[in-house]
This record gives sequence, structure tokens and C-alpha cells, in this order.
Amino acid sequence: MAKRRTRSSSRSKADREFVSEAEEILERMRRDLADLADIRAAEGEIDPDLINRLFRSAHSLKGLAGLFGFDPVHELAHHLEDVLDGLRLGRVLLCSEIVEVIEQAATLFAHLLQSVGDAEALAGSGDALAELQARIEQLRTAPNPTPDGLDALDIDPAMLRALTEYEEHRLRENLRRGRSIALVEASFEIISFEEGLAELTSAVREIGEVLSTLPAPGETPESQIRFSLLVASELSAPAIASGMEGAAVRSVSTPSGGAGARARAERALQTDSAAAQAAAAGAANDAVEESAGEAGQPAAPVETSSAGGESAADPAELESLKSISETVRVDIRKLDELMNLVGELVIQRGALADLSGQLLGDARTSRAGGDLSKIQKALDRKLRDLQQAVLEVRMVPLRQVFERVSRVVRRLRHELGKDVRLELKGADTELDKLIVEELVDPLMHVVRNALDHALEPPEERVAGGKPSEGCIRIEAFQRGSHVVIAVADDGRGIDVDTLRSRAEAAQLVQPDEMLGDKELLDLVFAPGISTRSEVTATSGRGVGMDVVRHNLTALGGVVEVDSVRGRGTQVSMTLPITLAIIQSLIVVVDGQRFAIPLNAVQETLLVEAEAIQDSEGRAILNLRGDALPLRRLCDEFGLRPAAEEAKRFVVVVGMGDTRLGLVVDRLDGQQDTVIKPIQGPVRAVRGIAGATELGDQDPVLVLDVSTLLADAGTRMEAA
Amino acid sequence: MSAAVPGEEARWDALARAAALRREGDSERIDLRRLVSFELAGTPYALPVERVREIVRIRPITPMPRVPREVLGVVSLRGEIVQVVDARRRLGLEETPATRASRVVVVYGGDDGVAGLLVDAVTGVLPVAEEALRPASGEAALVESLCVQGERFVSVLDLDRMLALDGGA
Repeated sequence: MAKRRTRSSSRSKADREFVSEAEEILERMRRDLADLADIRAAEGEIDPDLINRLFRSAHSLKGLAGLFGFDPVHELAHHLEDVLDGLRLGRVLLCSEIVEVIEQAATLFAHLLQSVGDAEALAGSGDALAELQARIEQLRTAPNPTPDGLDALDIDPAMLRALTEYEEHRLRENLRRGRSIALVEASFEIISFEEGLAELTSAVREIGEVLSTLPAPGETPESQIRFSLLVASELSAPAIASGMEGAAVRSVSTPSGGAGARARAERALQTDSAAAQAAAAGAANDAVEESAGEAGQPAAPVETSSAGGESAADPAELESLKSISETVRVDIRKLDELMNLVGELVIQRGALADLSGQLLGDARTSRAGGDLSKIQKALDRKLRDLQQAVLEVRMVPLRQVFERVSRVVRRLRHELGKDVRLELKGADTELDKLIVEELVDPLMHVVRNALDHALEPPEERVAGGKPSEGCIRIEAFQRGSHVVIAVADDGRGIDVDTLRSRAEAAQLVQPDEMLGDKELLDLVFAPGISTRSEVTATSGRGVGMDVVRHNLTALGGVVEVDSVRGRGTQVSMTLPITLAIIQSLIVVVDGQRFAIPLNAVQETLLVEAEAIQDSEGRAILNLRGDALPLRRLCDEFGLRPAAEEAKRFVVVVGMGDTRLGLVVDRLDGQQDTVIKPIQGPVRAVRGIAGATELGDQDPVLVLDVSTLLADAGTRMEAA
Repeated sequence: MSAAVPGEEARWDALARAAALRREGDSERIDLRRLVSFELAGTPYALPVERVREIVRIRPITPMPRVPREVLGVVSLRGEIVQVVDARRRLGLEETPATRASRVVVVYGGDDGVAGLLVDAVTGVLPVAEEALRPASGEAALVESLCVQGERFVSVLDLDRMLALDGGA
């Protein structure tokens, strides 16, 4: 135990981070493995998602180990990924030997993770590693003839060809189990298709399996996109259709409407008589296992304890129940709650400051006031520390996002036939977890744009005197309370002339209008503008950079583009390190909108003008027996008062015990707002905390309730 | 914005740096300064190029209460909220409504922050020899120096004084 502790403390921060994340993946893998063993023991049907999850775990582990340069884990994960890939594609049959090997791999992973930072222990497991990898290879390459027979289906051959190997495997598997196969087709608005498609997909999942989702050919309006979902279900096509609104359902496995066709399809598929019997009997027996049984392997649950028994390392040391890392994973919502509590404390703090001020002002209590003031200031400091600490807990490095980006780039590189080098810098830069999540899509979009549009094909690059390999560079760094993420490419740059003519065609710019380079480039963020005419699968539907800007602005961020024709483009995204999204009540005075942070709003009232009394020159509202001082926001801000009306809107704001009714012209709903500082010659304006954008361009001022309350209070005393 | 960014800002950055270097020494060379020139009520004015971050078209301005009347309000510059000062009002010139040619010159104020300056029209960038600049007389405190351009005088504004509006609220 003592030895282990020294070992773990000698690890670098990167090592600890790696171990913590790898352990989490391993934990997941073990859970899935345990499920797999349970299902096999109960002779149940193996959920394909289970195999997929295992595959993804191995894949993540491989990626993670590769990223941190931890070769033994990387290598083993790579082999494991291969065999799991074979399994999910049906190339490799699930047998107890495979399960055993996966379990051994999991055990070895745990051992390797414990050895991180300990070269000696690592070297000791080299033999076990080599042996296991050889065994995996042997299992993976074992011959497994797959029958064919999809021709019997009433599916467009082009669609069949478009299926991936995995999807084809799932199709066969479902046919073999005698399920009906149907095509579910539906059209969606391009702008919101992801939502609609997700809804449809989850509806289908209720009753069956979505084998594949493909864009469907055929007549659709310009603004729509049509999808076909290839679905397998125990239900018949009409039964499927009854659950799907707005979607067309067509059966493809029973073209003549009878069970005969299905049986024919099944016959065509079933070359293996044992499997045929199993399916015909409708047994829940896993037929894959039957095949395995034929191969001479008894299909019995494997005892986990035997795993790693013959390997070089001592099993007792391999299996440690104690987690190695000292990290705790916390639900982000719990952190949100914590954050809100801190926010409320901060508001309460103001009341305390007011009280100590009052006590100080009175000769009889000034001593107590002084003491209270000291305590309040100490509390203030601790509160700030607390706020800072809670913020820090939410911070995560950008590494994971970068990793996802590199995966996409690797994949697209082949699809697009472009040579590209991806340079990543500043993966350790930290951002609020929520911002990181929201950043993924815009960042991905920008990177895809660079790959798809900006970088020229290799021939064109060479002709232009550039190296054939293009370069995309993503750099992240902190600047003050913001993080800048810049994506630069050395591609063709933005053609400002084309951009301008498109903007003119879209009537965003007048032909005679003088525009600077920056303003011209800024047009890429205008809705419906794309510099490419043809739409590709990767990007370029014209809904693009405007969405990127919209999303980043909603986070309180800024996106800018810079480009030199023929040399390259750089898109810089600046984001606040943490999200200060708060709910605000929007009010209108003299036609101008203002935001009032909801945490300071106690209630809103619609009162009769007569209910407002005038007491010594101040407006007072009798609110359930209490006198509520009123201020007209138009008076406070020198705006024009609204026409006299019988009823008035009053927003009751308060912190601590002080309350104030703000009279406004009308209420305009609640909104999520990000308070931004106002830059300019006038630094601080009493009553204004900052400004926010509500989706459209005009900034809306956010009221500083605490100073409004304080001002109302002092004036009340003076009166 | 870092110097690694290609394009306009980097050019301005480089110019500013070159200008600073030249000011530090090398008095034998002809000192060239670059000024962004603009018009106010038909008269040419200018600001040193290194104080200008960008020039943008006029956009909706949200009025701000409790500020000196020279501050028209705030605008959003790609998510940044920036106050806009009406240059005509600040200089006590006759006020006219903004036109299509009106521009907001976004300038670097103090403390890393920026501010907007509403002008009638931006006319270009003037290269001016340091010798051609004459200090303005004390009475027009907002004008730092004058420079002769053909038959006209261009007034170079003292930006820091132009933006000294705080404290009056």
C-alpha cells in the first residue's frame, strides 16, 4: 500500500490525468463485460449496443493512450479494438474464448495503469502483453464465412451498397431472427432537421432497431431534406406506421405481404442448419453462440478469476479494488446548484453591508457596526474565494475537444482526398465544462470548413507553389478572463470579391457601398452566405458561419475571421472562461428594453393607478399591508413616461430586507442572459451592471439592482 | 488580437510598432506618421493609425442613461459591448443625423478597452512627416496638432482628451 502511494505521487500531472480518465473507461468496459457474461449465462440475446459500447471503450482507451504516449496500453487497446470491431461487424463470432480474452485484457489494462510511472513494473508485464496480443490476433483472424442473401429484400440496390459493413451485418442478423424490416421515410426542414431526425429515431427505437439512416432521394422542396431509416422490428410494417406521425413506412422484408417471402429471405440467409432450427423455433438462444459451440467451445460463462492466471504478473496484484487516482467525477448539474447557492450568498452579502453601514451611522451602535463591518469584509473575501473555487472546479482542459477534432480530421482527410497536417497547441487551456461542450459544434464546423473549402486539392496546391500537404493549426490560449481559440489554415483564403457579389445579390450590401477588408470578411457570418456554390456532405449548406456566430454570441463569445487571398484564413473564437448565464426579466420603458436579473426579482404586479399613494412626495404601494416604495424607471433613467393608464406594471426587486417596486411600461418575458462589461470612456454607471445581447444585434442594458436599492434607500432616509 | 493574425490588424500592429520604434531614436530618418482621416461637418480630422482598431458601419445604438450627452449609447461589436461617442457633439459642432457614409471608428482607449467614435465619413489613411505636424494652440484642447494637406489643415485629435468623459455623470 505504502509502495503504491509513493508510486502514484511520483507521477506527473499528465500521468495522473491519463490514469484517471483511463480508469473511468476501464470501469465502463468492466461493467459491460459483466453484463455480457450475465446475458450469456442466462442464454439471452446479446444487445448489439453492448458490443458497440465495448468497442467504443477500447477505441477511447486507444485514443487516450496514444495521446499521452502510453504505448503498452495503446497497443493492447488497438488489438482489442480490432477484435471488437470484427465482433460487431459479424466477422468474428462471439464465443467464450473471446469473452475470456477481453476480460484478460481488462485485467491487464488495470495492471498497466497501476504501473504508470514505474518502468520496472511495466517491463515485467511485457510477456503477458505479447502473449495476449498474439491470442487476440489469432481469434480475430479465425475464418468465419458469412452467408449472403440480401437480394431477397425489396430495397434499392444503391441503398444496400451504401450500408456500412456493420449495418449490413445488423440487417442480416435481424433477418435471421425473423424480424420484419421496413423503410421509414420522412422530410425535415434543413435548418432543424437534426431535431426532427433525433425525434423520429428515438420513436423508432421504442419499437425496434434503426439499422441505418440515409438521406433519401426523391422530390423534396428546396428547404427540406428527406431521410430513410432502415428499421428492424418485431412488429409488422403497419404496426410500425401507427406509431410514426408524418413519416412514410414501407415494409421491405415482406414484399408480397405474406410470411412466405420472409421465410424465403430467411432460408436464403440460413446456410447453417443449427441456426435455422434455432430461428425457426423462435428460440431466444443466441445462434452465434451455437456456431461457436460447433467450433468446439462450450458456451459457458467464464469465470473472471481465471483471467490473467497464466500471465507473468501475480493475480493478487493485478486486481486491486482500490481506485488508483484521487479524482471524483461530479454531475455538472450539482456544480450548477453549488454555483447558484454561491450566487445567492453574494446577493445576501449586500444586505449585510447595508446593515453594518446603518449601524455605523448611529452613534449608539457605531461600535457594533464597526465590528460587523470587519466581519462582513472578511466574509466578503472568503465568499470571493469560494466563488473562484467553484468556478475552478468546473474547468476542464480543451484536450478532449482537440482529440475529437483530430479524429474528424483524420476521417475527412481520406473522404476528401486531401493531404493535411493538423497542428494543435494549447490543449491544456482550461474552460468551463459547459462552454467546452457548446464549443464542440462551432469548432468542428470551422475545422470542416477549413478542410472542405479552404484547403485546395494537392495538385492545386503544388501548382500554386505550396507544399502539397495543407496545414490546419488550432491554437488555444488564455487572454485575461477569456480563452481564444484560433483555427488557421494555409489554404486559398476567402475570395472577398465573390463574397461581395453574393452579399450584393442577397441585398446585404449596396453596390456603391464602401466596405473595408474587415467588414467584407465579416460578411461570411451573414445568414445564407457561403463562398462555395456546390453543397458538399461535409459543409457548405449556407447555414454555417452565421450559426457559428450565433452560438458563440449566445455564450458571450466573439468570432472573427481574417483571411489573405491565396495564403490562408484564420477564424478566432474568443470565449469567456466561465459562463455567467443568468435568467433575466425583460422590461420595457419608453420603448427601450432593460434586463433585470431574476435572482433579484421577488414578484411582478399589475396594480391600479389608484392603489399608488403619495406619501411625502414619494410613491408608495400598499402591498399586502406593507408599504412598498416605488420608483418609476423612466424617472430614474431620464426617459419619457408612458401615457397615463389605469394599470401599471410593478417589478418588486429586493435583496435581503430592502425592497423596491420598479414601475415599468410593460414586461417582455424572461430570457437567459450573459452579462457583459461595457467598454468605453464612462467606466461605471450607477444602476447599470452591464449589457447583454438577446439574439438580435441591439445590446440590452442589465440593471444593477443592488445600487438601485441602495440609492432608493439613501434617498428615503434623506427625505 | 495576437500578431500571428494575418490581415488588417497585423498590418496596423506592425505600423504601430514601427512608429514606436521610429519615435524612440533614429532622428536622422524622416519620421513618417500615419493618420486615419475622417470628416466632421465638412472639416478634415485625423487620429493616429495605431490608436484605431477598426472602422465599422453604423449600427443600432442602445441609448444609455446617466452618461454625459456626448455618449450616444452602446453598440455590439461581434459580442463586445462598446460605448459610442458622438465626435460632433464632443467637439461642439453642429449636429446632424447619421448618414449612410457615417462610420464608427473603434479606437483603443486606456486600460485595454476600446471605444467607438461616430464620424461623418472615413476618408483614408494619410502618411504625414513628423515635421509637417504643428502643435495646436492651447485653446482647442481636443486638437493635439495640425497638419497641412494641400490647402487644408487637418486637425489631429487628442484621443485621450476626447475620451475623458468620466466623472461628469
